[in-house]
Amino acid sequence: MEPDTKRRKGTEYDTDLWDVLPVLSDEQSRDTKLLDAYAAPITEKRETSRLVKELAVVYPLPDLQHIKRVRARKDKNAPHPLEVIVCLASDVSGLESQRSTLADLLSSKTIDSRGLGEPFLVQIPASPPLTRPQFERASKHWPTSFHEDKQVTSALRGQLFSSSEKAKMGEYMNAAIQAARSGHALGMDAVGAVIVDPQSGQIVAVGHDCRQGTHPLHHAVMVCIDLVAYTQGGGAYEYEKYPACRYSVPESQVTTSHDDLSKEGNHCSSDKAMENGQLYICTGYELYVTREPCVMCAMALVHSRISRVFYGAASTDGALGTKYKIHCQKDLNHHFDVYKGVMLQACEELLDLK
Amino acid sequence: MRGQAGGAAGFLQPPDSDVQSWMAKAFDMARDALENGEVPVGCLMVYNDEILGKGRNEVNESRNATRHAEMVALDQVLEWSRLKQLDPKEVCKLTVLYVTVEPCIMCAAALRLLHIPLVVYGCKNDRFGGCGSVLDISSDDLPHTGASFKCISGHRAEEAIEMLKTFYKQENPNAPKPKVRKGGQSSRGLCCPAEKSSSS
Ligand SMILES: [Zn+2]
Ligand SMILES: [Zn+2]
Repeated sequence: MEPDTKRRKGTEYDTDLWDVLPVLSDEQSRDTKLLDAYAAPITEKRETSRLVKELAVVYPLPDLQHIKRVRARKDKNAPHPLEVIVCLASDVSGLESQRSTLADLLSSKTIDSRGLGEPFLVQIPASPPLTRPQFERASKHWPTSFHEDKQVTSALRGQLFSSSEKAKMGEYMNAAIQAARSGHALGMDAVGAVIVDPQSGQIVAVGHDCRQGTHPLHHAVMVCIDLVAYTQGGGAYEYEKYPACRYSVPESQVTTSHDDLSKEGNHCSSDKAMENGQLYICTGYELYVTREPCVMCAMALVHSRISRVFYGAASTDGALGTKYKIHCQKDLNHHFDVYKGVMLQACEELLDLK
Repeated sequence: MRGQAGGAAGFLQPPDSDVQSWMAKAFDMARDALENGEVPVGCLMVYNDEILGKGRNEVNESRNATRHAEMVALDQVLEWSRLKQLDPKEVCKLTVLYVTVEPCIMCAAALRLLHIPLVVYGCKNDRFGGCGSVLDISSDDLPHTGASFKCISGHRAEEAIEMLKTFYKQENPNAPKPKVRKGGQSSRGLCCPAEKSSSS
């Protein structure tokens, strides 16, 4: 990735003006749930490993693999620098008092409590943190392990894409904005979309909203999906009345290269995935759309196996972040990454066009 | 409870004999899809006892993954309205969809956008269902996505499931063959190894 230092100023796609932010799943974006637990100071440091072993036997924490059983007190002057989780409050829910003693917690358990001080209540994160912000919030309560996805971390900081990558995105979004304007001039809602083959950088299809025209379901995304079908010898509708809706057959499809055999990954543009006799026409392609797709369009993108979606402005019933997150919906057999905020201001201005 | 369809409540409950005969026709469409290598889903759009639209999956033919039976049939309803010079939304408001399988999330949203008030379907659609199975697009609060609709489910559900199983499990001999890679593996196996089996 290129360093983020070289910024293009004053260009049409001034990349300083907008951030490309990931639309993460609820699991990745929600606040971590907390559980009540009893912790106790370790009064004799040399007993630590024995205590940890014995506590793991009498009070195992099977669903809390991410929890570190022992934590170091941040306050260096504390009399006892280490503390250990004894058990979950739910493990001893029979106990009446909130101020249970060590004897209460360990009665009927075979454990040598030597080296343990009197317990106190703490809150510990119920699930492993999935993102750095979740990790940082969780760590304020009790230390956890964290398998960091560096890509998500830098995406959340708006730093996943270099300014030259953002300039390219701006170019694609600008084509979508131009299409939206052409559609609007014909009396359509001002929404535009572009489908790109990221392998070649080529624009495969450009479409705009046509719902006020011949077909109320011809949203920009649906138009684009059908135009991609045209590049593969299919297609269901005519767009003669809408010259801004167009497609071009990707070069990779015209010439089949030997490279195809070696590149498995997500390279599918010349060998469309087919399963159970069904074609998935947008495999490997990316969509740029001026506003967040509705439920119909978002699910159409799942059916078409799009690989990534970038949108500008959010929409009220939007299905890729606002009302639903269909791109990471459990039970669906295809998921894709979604980013928002591309040329945000220009896209938001389209929403105001009447 | 499913969301109430506004306005047209009076005609909503078709007599059982009607449901049976409309569903029989939808199943004929599904069988036709199966014989043509498409996912076996068939549907009818019925307005005033008249069939305005008949659809089956046309994904392969059109190379367009959105060409589900419902979308195909909706096109015919819109075309009919145009020829009769009627407002398509007014026609849709009095049109019942009969379909062998619960509409997917996309089709459920399309039905909402066009104000279809009632959907009668056969079996649940665990993989993509938009009327309660995966999401509940039919009755969720979506003020900018048309009107919620009512569902009646379970008509010949077993038979609808059987057809889907036939399609998904035994590779359909009539289906267009997937392109085979030079390595001898079909692209099917490479791209989606963890596919779930059909609804059950
Ligand atoms: Zn849409
Ligand atoms: Zn569908």
